[in-house]
Amino acid sequence: MDDLLADFLTETTESLAELDLALVRLERAPDDAATLGLIFRHVHTIKGTCGFLGLPRLERVAHAGENVLARLRDGTLVATADVVSSVLTAADRIKEIVAGLSASGAEPQGDDAPLIAALAAIAEGGAAVPAAVPAETATIEPVAAEPIPAEPARTESPAAEPHGGPQTIRVAVEVLDDLMTLASELVLTRNQLLQLARRQEDDALAVPLQRLSQITSDLQEGVMKTRMQPIGGAWNKLPRLVRDLARDLDKKIELVMVGAETELDRQVLELIKDPLTHMVRNAADHALESPTERRARGKPETGRIALSAYHVGGHVIIEVADDGAGLPVEKIRAKALARGLATEAELAAMNDAQILRFVFRPGFSTAAAITAVSGRGVGLDVVKTNVERIGGSIDLASTAGRGTTFTIKIPLTLAIAAALIVQAGGERFAIPQLAVVELVRASTSTSTSTSTSAGPEGSEARIERIDATPVLRLRERLLPLASLRRLLQLGDAADDAAPQTVVIVQVGAATLGIIVDAVFDTEEIVVKPVAPILRHVTMFSGNTILGDGSVIMILDPNGIARATGLGGGEQRASGVAAAAAPAVSSAERTTLLLFRAGGPEPKAAPLGLVARIEHIARERIELSSGAPVTQYRGRLMPLVPMAGAIDPARESHPVLVFSDIDAALGRDRCMGLVVDEIVDVAEETLRVELGGGRPGVLGTAIVAGRATDVIDTAYWLQIAYGDWFRSAAGRRAGAARRPSVLMVEDSDFFRQLLVPALAAAGYDVTAAAGAEPALRLRDEGAMFDAIVSDIEMPDMDGLAFVRRVRAEGAWARLPVIALSGRTHPDDIAAGRDAGFTDYVEKFHRDALLASLRQCLGQDVAAAA
Amino acid sequence: MSAAPCARACLVVDDSRVVRKLARRMLEGHGFAVEEAEDGARALDACRRAMPACVLLDWNMPVMNGLDFLKALREEFGPDNPPVVFCTTENDIGRIAQAIEHGAQEFIMKPFDQQILLGKLAQVGLA
Repeated sequence: MDDLLADFLTETTESLAELDLALVRLERAPDDAATLGLIFRHVHTIKGTCGFLGLPRLERVAHAGENVLARLRDGTLVATADVVSSVLTAADRIKEIVAGLSASGAEPQGDDAPLIAALAAIAEGGAAVPAAVPAETATIEPVAAEPIPAEPARTESPAAEPHGGPQTIRVAVEVLDDLMTLASELVLTRNQLLQLARRQEDDALAVPLQRLSQITSDLQEGVMKTRMQPIGGAWNKLPRLVRDLARDLDKKIELVMVGAETELDRQVLELIKDPLTHMVRNAADHALESPTERRARGKPETGRIALSAYHVGGHVIIEVADDGAGLPVEKIRAKALARGLATEAELAAMNDAQILRFVFRPGFSTAAAITAVSGRGVGLDVVKTNVERIGGSIDLASTAGRGTTFTIKIPLTLAIAAALIVQAGGERFAIPQLAVVELVRASTSTSTSTSTSAGPEGSEARIERIDATPVLRLRERLLPLASLRRLLQLGDAADDAAPQTVVIVQVGAATLGIIVDAVFDTEEIVVKPVAPILRHVTMFSGNTILGDGSVIMILDPNGIARATGLGGGEQRASGVAAAAAPAVSSAERTTLLLFRAGGPEPKAAPLGLVARIEHIARERIELSSGAPVTQYRGRLMPLVPMAGAIDPARESHPVLVFSDIDAALGRDRCMGLVVDEIVDVAEETLRVELGGGRPGVLGTAIVAGRATDVIDTAYWLQIAYGDWFRSAAGRRAGAARRPSVLMVEDSDFFRQLLVPALAAAGYDVTAAAGAEPALRLRDEGAMFDAIVSDIEMPDMDGLAFVRRVRAEGAWARLPVIALSGRTHPDDIAAGRDAGFTDYVEKFHRDALLASLRQCLGQDVAAAA
Repeated sequence: MSAAPCARACLVVDDSRVVRKLARRMLEGHGFAVEEAEDGARALDACRRAMPACVLLDWNMPVMNGLDFLKALREEFGPDNPPVVFCTTENDIGRIAQAIEHGAQEFIMKPFDQQILLGKLAQVGLA
């Protein structure tokens, strides 16, 4: 039955992708019989098939959805936004179940009764769904009713029409990858053969060799083509995303997609998917204004996000453009100054375009940009890093009031790249051409002075020393220098006094010089991944075989920058500061949301705990048994005014939304904390002084140089729901024994935060203030089901702790989950190497709970 | 195909690969030769190439749905040959009458098992 299940999963996943697109289309054109037919057919097929496979949960949900669709098809129900939403919810639930099915081979546990009841209510007489509130429908209707005739045609990518097109077969990706490798090797062998033949000057050989050469090139091109996929595949989910965002944000958004058929390597496609989604989400959430604002500015009410893709040379250009408010140059300038990213003088010398580029710096988000937190924690710096990781680049242009356009340029394929071949210590290496800025020959300065006085006019590039660290003075800029020989320990550097050959490379915002012995040619190389045994050497990104058959390593400029202490981190424009100062990123930093409530002094809450920030209009706040509530995403959300009461004079209130939605545990609640003003977002090394005894305040911390109250979110949640932390546990009373968890965490603040959260999720929590006390517990014979440990701790850190746990004793086989503010892949790899079962980012309570559930084999979820 | 007697050839028409595969297993286990088609248009082509002894027909399919296929089949090849067993679900009971009216001999509810399927085929004269 296994291969049947695999077939079912493939088939259903494809259906679901089409289903999303079709449902969004249906909302625009409720009478489109063809679209309806398509939707009905997909749900019908899923339902019909899962009956055979014995998947009762899936069958019931699909059945309920099908009932609604049958009414739509028969014309006895109209596809309003609410009806479509309910079917989308059903589709989402099907996706969840299918995901669980594909992960574990069995249907995950869960309660679908409310969903099925809601669907049944719609199917029977089209009664109002609980979620359907008249006020809400009224604001949504115009979006749904507005006909945008051009849209469906554009969104329909060729991939969405699998039938009727040219015949296709399915081939495993590995087979294609193998073919690609073989074709590449054939090319190399041909090159060797051609080199040999040139020496022979044998005419009889020349003709068939010429033919072999041609065929080989054609074959390679053909194999490359098989790996190409239309970019539309990465865009499939966007119409649905934009539709949901528009509904949630009360905006009108039109998504235009041009060039969905543009093809690129599937590997690149996979890597570009998330950054693109993030940018579209950003545009919808932050860039586009509300219909009212747009009207006031004389723009059409419906905002527009345009995605386009096209080929230029060996690259694909992808543009994400919006016609929103544009980026606030002044705010960005102020923020850059406040953050110390540039001095006032430096900023004065920059044009707007240069200033805008600050948004790509790590941790750079203006308060305006997070006012409706969408891609929380993932900023444009991550997008930029991801794009650069695949050899691409990203740029932006923005006009105030007219909108912003991001332009991403990525290579068509990662399999073949242009590289500069260099030599150091007798070995040859390839440096990806994309990273190379220029080649210079630099004389060595005899002076070792630390002064920055300019050298003689004639010498353009000189190597100088600042406190014994060599730096390159290039056209009045000082660049950090790395010697490839020294880095790779290929013997002593050549005569330091002689002129040196320096390859200038650009890594993110940083520029550095790499000293090499010799530079050869630029070659098209076939990139092969690094063997697993070398994967920890981050200075190499792969290897390749040259035309003469020799195998050489490809250098990773990112890795070299890191190895020289530059990090991927922030670098000041002058370059020297970065060379001198080690990467700062190692300190544990927390992103805090600063706001004001009931007083002028700022208050702070960890941004990771805030689900969204909303501005809720006065008229949307109602009273329910004396307490303020609002309709939020289809449910009633209690509002708690932090200042004690909601000021009736204000037209709109900023609200921090805390949510506790966990389908696996059947929880679905949220609460809004009403504040006076959102001030900023700050990244700080958080040291909270506990105490004060004031209710609702956890303690005081220095944030942005000011003493700031850090609020106790648990306290406010309990005001909204007296049972916020109790009910989940209570519901499980009588169920099996509560699983026990040991929490090892040196910070009082985090213990205060996490212990109640874990207790609420049904765990018996024991806290230890460090690794030593925890190990004492072990030696005293205490036993737990799982351990959650901080990484950054004084005395003994989490890595050392987990090694001790794994080394001996009764805990050696327990699941141990790491909690850390550092989530660089290297850190995660180090954590796993040390023996952690899983690695979770601090403050991501949901991720921690999910990880615990997974480690404990879902016992907790099952007991709910 | 040529090795198996034509009297035991069954054409399975369904847009779900999983359902086709399941039906194939049930039928091949009982000595049927199975042909598959993923929509009505391809099913019609298959019938034109080699007429099966019976057709197991799904209703909701892209390109040409079950009803359109049935109409075209009966128009081109006469009213009774080959017998058609029409697949439905409880959501689609209303379609049964329509299917029978347009020349289906039998209907079968999804999900079905081997016993039920063979029983239905026996009903239409294939033992």
